[in-house]
This record gives sequence, structure tokens and C-alpha cells, in this order.
Amino acid sequence: MDTLRIPTELVAPVFNPATFGRRGAVHDIFTRLRRDYPLSVAEVPGYDPHWIVTKYADLREISRRDDIFHGGERSKTLISQAGEALVKKYTGGQSNIWRSLVQLDPPEHGAYRAVVAPSFMPDKIAQMKDSVHAIAKTYVDRLADMAPSCDFAHDIAFMYPLKVVLDLMGVPEADHPRMLRLTQWLFSYADPDLKRPGSDLTNPDEITKTWNIVFNEFKDFYSPIIADRRKAPKPDIASLIANGRIFGNEMEERAMISYFAIVSTAGHDTTAATTATGMWVLAEQPALLARLKADPALIPGFVEETIRWASPVQQFVRSATEDYEIRGRTIRKGDLVYLSYVSANRDEEQFENAFTFDPTRSPNRHIGFGYGAHICLGQHLARLEMRALWEALIPRLQSVELAGEPQLTESEFVCGPKLVPIRFAMQ
Amino acid sequence: MSQAPWKKYLCSTCGTVYDEAEGDADSGIAPGTRFEDLPEDWICPVCGTAKAGFEPYA
Repeated sequence: MDTLRIPTELVAPVFNPATFGRRGAVHDIFTRLRRDYPLSVAEVPGYDPHWIVTKYADLREISRRDDIFHGGERSKTLISQAGEALVKKYTGGQSNIWRSLVQLDPPEHGAYRAVVAPSFMPDKIAQMKDSVHAIAKTYVDRLADMAPSCDFAHDIAFMYPLKVVLDLMGVPEADHPRMLRLTQWLFSYADPDLKRPGSDLTNPDEITKTWNIVFNEFKDFYSPIIADRRKAPKPDIASLIANGRIFGNEMEERAMISYFAIVSTAGHDTTAATTATGMWVLAEQPALLARLKADPALIPGFVEETIRWASPVQQFVRSATEDYEIRGRTIRKGDLVYLSYVSANRDEEQFENAFTFDPTRSPNRHIGFGYGAHICLGQHLARLEMRALWEALIPRLQSVELAGEPQLTESEFVCGPKLVPIRFAMQ
Repeated sequence: MSQAPWKKYLCSTCGTVYDEAEGDADSGIAPGTRFEDLPEDWICPVCGTAKAGFEPYA
């Protein structure tokens, strides 16, 4: 068997957002890739060739070598050749619409990250414990008011982390729905229910067009806030970004708008996806709910396992700046590598019974927050949010079951439940 | 063995705390291992930051 090149018919669905609406299909493909093509090349028409990184150990090694595997010289996310050409047209030659922490490379990345990183370290997050628990309680009360049924994804999971993060950012509550809408346009650009109205899914350039529109929407929204915070800083994240200095200079404009956008989108969407997944799991496993009710000390482990299980970020792409040997292969300078987090988090070599949801899994070194210098800045806040919600909710949740078929977003980038209909009883 | 109080060190990338009293079981580091005695190739168990990327933590 030629294991250098993956049969196109096997790997092509991974390049199609619609496939990700069927999680079972995604897992079937990556399970086969991990077994037969753990590190091989996909040549899908319309796209440059990509090494598909499926194994946990390889993904960690490559992620840790951000001195070699860059995110800013080519698109950091999967994109067609036509789409990438359009990005260059929109940006004056850059490879990404966004220049956020996700796309930046060293040494710029470290300088930009340092602007807000201290605010997301464990000691600072611990100071937010009471306020996050108070917000969690309001959403649990809201859920109780909706009994006996609701769409947990839309009614609770989308809204709760949005509130936490945008309050921290300093965005007025009246603008939170707009931020949620832009987040969905950005991450779910191809989902028929969440995409930007008027976008044309038959157009292969749509992702680039939509992302450029979203960039400009964020620019319009945040420009007055930036001016305000420069004039009169407040104790919020917006003020830190607006006044951030990079090697003694102001931030470059595209990078600053991208900074606001990444906090306003990734800061809540992945937590929302993970929280919705957690309820989905509970609705399917009444015995698990009973275990958590009997032993709330299992809740932190439950949260970690929901992160592994949900793996909301499906992929990032990096380009090699020099030849690199890994798993008996040579990735050449300039080659693209597709890092599959959803595959790494089900790697049978790393996780015993990888397809079993186990809140007692220990250690649970999942890669849901990434790895290396680009590891999720908000991971400690995300954990606090999810623990606070489940600690408030599980003692009051008497029963829960699915009231219909849950649905996942059709997105090959950030993917999570968009519909989790439940029937439930609460105290 | 030194009688000095156990110290903690913070990963400057991800905020993971290395506690000398606890060690790092996942990496085979026994409880009571001083930070300076960690192997030079020891890395943060969460994000992979090198030992040099840790700083004293109160």
C-alpha cells in the first residue's frame, strides 16, 4: 500500500464542511487515517497538498515547534487555492484575513500574547470565581424557568459564556447578540442555519468573502471602543488591547482588530460547544447524571472529558519553514500540515478506550486547548465557567433526556452542537 | 534532603504550576523534587514549555 498519499475519496470529505455535521462520519475517517495513513498527504482538487497529522504525539510535537511550523505565512485554517488568492487580494498580499494570536508567529506572537496573558493566568481567574458563579446561577435559574423543555444549545450554552467573556471584555450587554451573530458567521460560515444571510454556499470563495465582511464588522464595532479606551482606560480587556504596546510601538491595525475579534469569538464559542456537548452526553447517559449527583467531586473530571469529547476546534494548518523529520517522513520546507485535534483527542495510543466518555479519566491530557506557545489563553477561564455551571446545575437537575435529534454545525473549522433539544426536570 | 519550604513555579505560557511538594507524576517526577533538580529536558506537562519558561510563583 502506498501510505504516502491518502486516497482522495477517503480524505476529501474532511475538506467539506457538511461532513462535520455528522460526527460519526468524521470519526470513521480519522480512525482509518490513524490506522492506515497516520501521517500522509492529502491531494484534494482545488487545494494545495496537505500533510494530515492524525496522531496525538505528532500533533504535540509539531505544535511545540512553532519556531519551525508557522501560522502566518500561509492560511492558518484550511482554505482552497482560490480562497487564499482572494485573501491576498483583500489584505494587500497577506495570507490571512485575521492577524490574531492564532496566526502570529514568534517573536511577534509572544509580544502580542503578553498584552492580555496576565489577566488569564490562574491567580487572576481565581479572583473571578464569585462573579462567574453568580452568572452561572442566573443561567441555571433561567433553565429552571424553561422546564420541562428547551434547546439547551441556544438557550443556555451559547448565552452563558458569551455573557462572561463579553463582560470581561467590556462590551455592553445590548451588543452581545451582535457578537454572537458575528461569531456564528465567522466559525459557521458554511452552516445553512448559522451562516451569514445572503452568503452563497455554492461559491468556493465564500469563506474568504464572509471573513472579510466579519472583519470589517468587527472593525466598525470596535473602533469607537478603541478610541474610548485610549482616552479613558477602564479595568477591562478592551483597555488592555487598545493600549497594548508591541516592542514599544502601537499594535498594527489588522492585528488589533483581530485581537478584539478573537477574544469576542473564540472566547465563548468553544466553551459553548463544549457545554452543549456535556448536556448532550448527560441526556444520553442517565447513569452518568446519577454518578455526578452522588459525587460532585467528579465534576472537574466531567468537564475535562467534555473538552476532549467535544474538541470544538477541528483543525489548524501550519507551514514548514525548514525540512523536518517526523514519524519516518520528511516534511519539506514550504509544505502545509493539517493538524486534526478531533483525531488526536481520539488517538487510541494516547487514550485508553478513547471512544468511551469517562469522567474519571486520569490523567486526561487532551489537546482540546491546543499545545505549545499557542495553547488557548482562556483555558482557565473556560474551566471555571464550565465547573461553575455544572456545580450549580447538577444538584438541581433531577432528570434529562433528549427531546429530539441534536444537530452539529456544518463546519470544518470550529464545530459543536447547534441544537440540543431536551426534556428535563429541575428542583 | 533540604529542609527549605517547598516552592512553586509558574509556566509563563499556560499558567500551569509546578509544585515541588507534588512533583509531576505524569512525567515521572517524584513528589519532593526541587525545581532545580528537574532534568533540563523536562517540559510543562500541559503545554510543552521548556523548564526555562517557568518563574517563581508565590
